[in-house]
Amino acid sequence: MEATPDLKKQIKALMVENLMLQINANDIGDEQPLFGPGSLGLDSVDALQLAVALDKNYRLKIQDPGVAREIFQNVTTIATAVARNQRAAG
Amino acid sequence: MNPRIILVTGANGGLGQAIARAFLGESPDNFIWLGVRARREQAIELEQAHKDRCACVDLDVTQPAAWAAAVERIAKRHPRLDVLVNNAGTHEDGLLATMPAEAWERVRSTNLDGVFHGCQAVLRTMIGQRHGRIINVSSLSALLAPPGQTNYAAAKAGVVALTQSLAKEVARMGITVNAVCPGYIETEALAGMDAERRKAACAQVPMRRFGRPEEVAAAIRFLACAEAGYITGSLLKVDGGIF
Repeated sequence: MEATPDLKKQIKALMVENLMLQINANDIGDEQPLFGPGSLGLDSVDALQLAVALDKNYRLKIQDPGVAREIFQNVTTIATAVARNQRAAG
Repeated sequence: MNPRIILVTGANGGLGQAIARAFLGESPDNFIWLGVRARREQAIELEQAHKDRCACVDLDVTQPAAWAAAVERIAKRHPRLDVLVNNAGTHEDGLLATMPAEAWERVRSTNLDGVFHGCQAVLRTMIGQRHGRIINVSSLSALLAPPGQTNYAAAKAGVVALTQSLAKEVARMGITVNAVCPGYIETEALAGMDAERRKAACAQVPMRRFGRPEEVAAAIRFLACAEAGYITGSLLKVDGGIF
């Protein structure tokens, strides 16, 4: 699986549902930062929920905080990590 | 009421037994995991009496690896875990001036670290299912800090703080975290008290009697029930009115 537009769409929907975001999934930009200024405004608790949701839905296990920071930059980086993990799993 | 999967630590003791029985009585569909360490004869008896509804699981609450193994075993049989009751506890009373550091360490390790490890072990499951109830057994000693219990009171006060902090962290995930603070309860802890000390202790209780384990178990069962879904970060004293 590649970091396709469809996968990014799935991840946006997963974020809206699991993080109970009060926005439409289509309004989330692929490169929009998740944390910090001009971002979606997520916090560390959202990150924890997102990590569990990615594990549950895509078997992507994120244990290392440094790796989590890399992956949780935006929807594209998450989709890339999911796709890479699925390729590695065969 | 929907069937629920419940894990009770310290399930061999008087309070743990009462908690397990309370959940068994709540619904015929509840399944109770009895977390036990070295002493387990009472838990095994309960398991034998309710073979399809409860099972013992090895669990030294001070060991993260034991928690991981216990949660893995539960997950193999049940797809979810609805309730965790962190009940395992111990005390080694004595004046701080002469308290061996090991006594401090042991009491803190079981009463406080055990709660930390337990919460951490079940949280991913509960977050994934977007539902969970964690009830931590603290103590009235956390609030009154009696002399001779610096280790126990500090550990149990730590449980209170952990409960309130964690409650805020996971509230939005449908997980509630609460604590009960039992006072003098007729368990093993009181059994070792001589008659004179029992009399003096009873005199401190406005109700003039010690509590029964079932009365603490009822409070825990309430905090775990669906109707208590908006209660989190709370402390429920079960102490006959001491203050």
